[in-house]
Amino acid sequence: MSAARPAAPRAWVDLARHAARPEARDQGLVHAQRLLVFELDGAPYALPIERVREIVRRRPITPVPRLPAEVLGVISLRGRVIEVIDLRRRLGLGARDPAPRSRIVVAHDGEGRVVGLLVDSVEAVVPAGEVAPGGGPAVAVEGLSRVGGRFVSIVDLDRVMDFDAAG
Amino acid sequence: VTARGGRRRASGKAEREFVGEADEILERMRGHLADLAERSSDGGEVPPELVNGLFRAAHSLKGLAGLFGFEPIFALAHRLEDLLDALRLGRSALDAEALDRIERAVGLFAELLSRVGDAAALAALEAPVAALAAELARHGPARGGAEAPAPGAAPRGHEAAAQRGEAERGACLPATRRQAAREAAAPGPVPGAPPPPARPDPLAELGLDRSLLAALTEYEEHRLRESLARDRNVLLAEATFEILSFEEGLAELTQGLAGMGEVLSTLPAPGECAESQIRFSLLVASERSAEEIAAALELPGVSIRRVGGGARGGGPSPEARGVESLQSPSETVRVDIRKLDELMNLVGELVIQREALAAFTARLAAEPATARSASELGRIQKDLERRVRELQEAVLEVRMVPLRQVFERVARVVRRLRSELGKEVRLEILGADTELDKLIAEELADPLMHIVRNALDHAIESPDERRAGGKPAEGLVRIEASQRGNHVVIAVSDDGRGIDRAALRARAESLGLVRPDEALGERETLDLVFAPGLSTRSEVSGTSGRGVGMDVVRTNVTLLGGIVAVDSVPNRGTAVTLTLPITLAILQVILVEAGGRRFAVPLAAVQETLLVDPCEIQRSEGREILDLRGAALPLRRLAAELGLAPAPPGAKLFAVVLRMGDARLGLLVDRLEGQQDAVIKPIEGPIPAVRAIAGAAELGGPQPVLVLDASGLLAEAHGRREAA
Repeated sequence: MSAARPAAPRAWVDLARHAARPEARDQGLVHAQRLLVFELDGAPYALPIERVREIVRRRPITPVPRLPAEVLGVISLRGRVIEVIDLRRRLGLGARDPAPRSRIVVAHDGEGRVVGLLVDSVEAVVPAGEVAPGGGPAVAVEGLSRVGGRFVSIVDLDRVMDFDAAG
Repeated sequence: VTARGGRRRASGKAEREFVGEADEILERMRGHLADLAERSSDGGEVPPELVNGLFRAAHSLKGLAGLFGFEPIFALAHRLEDLLDALRLGRSALDAEALDRIERAVGLFAELLSRVGDAAALAALEAPVAALAAELARHGPARGGAEAPAPGAAPRGHEAAAQRGEAERGACLPATRRQAAREAAAPGPVPGAPPPPARPDPLAELGLDRSLLAALTEYEEHRLRESLARDRNVLLAEATFEILSFEEGLAELTQGLAGMGEVLSTLPAPGECAESQIRFSLLVASERSAEEIAAALELPGVSIRRVGGGARGGGPSPEARGVESLQSPSETVRVDIRKLDELMNLVGELVIQREALAAFTARLAAEPATARSASELGRIQKDLERRVRELQEAVLEVRMVPLRQVFERVARVVRRLRSELGKEVRLEILGADTELDKLIAEELADPLMHIVRNALDHAIESPDERRAGGKPAEGLVRIEASQRGNHVVIAVSDDGRGIDRAALRARAESLGLVRPDEALGERETLDLVFAPGLSTRSEVSGTSGRGVGMDVVRTNVTLLGGIVAVDSVPNRGTAVTLTLPITLAILQVILVEAGGRRFAVPLAAVQETLLVDPCEIQRSEGREILDLRGAALPLRRLAAELGLAPAPPGAKLFAVVLRMGDARLGLLVDRLEGQQDAVIKPIEGPIPAVRAIAGAAELGGPQPVLVLDASGLLAEAHGRREAA
């Protein structure tokens, strides 16, 4: 093969790098084996990959009256109508106009409820490092994971979806 | 509380299959049971095929439960089968007690089925199942006492197998085997059974071969004696068929005979015939003569002769009734309702594509350069539209079930309640053939049951009270269903005491729902029955005092997209009217615009649309109203209701007049955009239930359009005392 081979996607590079480390194979506290990392307000956040159904480009959202402001509205996704939450606002990060790299992460909780999460951009799928409990009580973050030398905040999907308790 | 379609369902495939099949058997049992109760309350002869049908159903259910390993259903079905066996053999009498036990068993089966897959819930039913099983066993025939098969019971098993084989399939077993079984299993005398005949055995007087008589099963023999006792002609039909195709010929013959009498037994016949042929004897009881039947059958190669009975002589049967034939009489296929949902979704997608095509065609037609192709395309699109509509209607039709199934369940409860409550009540059911989407019909059962219970429990007075009030001692509860356009209206009315408005109001005041000085109109006062926690009689009864009231009825009906209204005249009676959409699947909608956004309004709920000049709007009690042909139409501004920007003042407005039952509401919108077909999808997400929004529809555009919940909006505007 020649040197002109295209660069591997970042996710694979990360995966390979992590697989090479001994501690990646011995993850005591970890909930998830792999994480989907995305960016919100310049910082990395993540969801366990098994919570993620798919990632779609931003599409027209129909606002729904009488819902909290963090709920942007609903989108059609192959015959289903799904609510989309502005994850920035939900996590108290302040709203921003969507950019071309914005994506909707379609996720589901343990009970099969589905939600769309608007994020600034999607970065990579990586193996989870050790998870340390963290995050303030008001913020739906269940812990921090060290990934590639930096801390990624793991989003607590159940709390994000629980509007009775949080707001 | 209950979300639409949120019922728990059995999860595994095997469990679903079991529940589906068992449900079907139960439905059959309910049908037989309802007929049976009807017949036995008339005091007439109970048609044997009803008891036999029930017996067969219990047997099938037992087999099915055994196959899938559902122990409680198996055990209960086993006991029920024994009881029914005793009934069909005339060993024990079909009295009110027996009927009640059968009804309760069927009820318990339904309960058990609804809990399949939920071990904890099933465990909670262990005690009632055991109790009822014991009761059924007590009722059943005294057959050597204990349940455990005694050593001598093996032949009885044999005989039972023969009977059931006959009952299940009408298959012919070798006569010798049957005979052996018969001899070994002579039943002992049973309390309550008819005493043995004092005079010489009437069977011996029949012109029948002894070996044929000996081959009859116990049930067949019982039916034969019963027919002789009723002076019916006993006839023997003999026919020869080719072995390769005998099933067809035999089925034709059986069906023909069953139309004119009762086929008591089908047996392989002795006698000469070619090796490739088989002869059958059919023992038939009929009011008609052998000659009449032979003439009516017109089947070659069939001989029919009278062998006895018939003291009253011939004459056409007043009630020719069919007996189960060898072949399944109905050409139906059972389909999982979810598969129909899938099919419906696909049709829905097709509808969306069609709308997209129509929109594109319209765009092409607007361009001079493409106008000619557009008209061609328009023609094709019109054709497609017609086909899609036909397909849509066909799929919708498949989902429809007659309300009879639901009404029969209600009738059973009424029969039980009237004896429990010591009230004389006649239940009248009209329009049971009215059809409704299966899902809606299912969800309708509970609210309907509650309304009927209320009528029996609270509305209908005791016989003494009724006589004192100059009414017939027997009360009347009438359930009447009819279709009105895209809705089905179900009215439950009684001729009881009516709703005491003063007591209702007093109770509402004591609960703080109404201020003492608050003026309420007639209708508003009656609407208080839908307020949470309200019941005019304070004592809690076992029948309807179960912590649910008319508020739950209203909530459930609203979830189905329907509305409920109550009307009552003191001392004359009460009527509760449910108005429900025929289907939840595909609806025609009117598109409207309010606050700069588009919404869809289900056309079925729209009475008319009006152009409204703002200066025509009047005010009353702080609310806007409109004079609509002399009647006051309450108005709501959709933008304000949904917290959207109002239209500039003075601009022309449109009113979409919503109407369901008697409730009306003028919804003020900024624009009307025409009609479309829409597939309404539930909104999925953390907050799925938004009041006033029924769901969303894809209408060919890139984003979903919200569909307004007409019944919710009407309830909001009228039932202001509902739970928030």
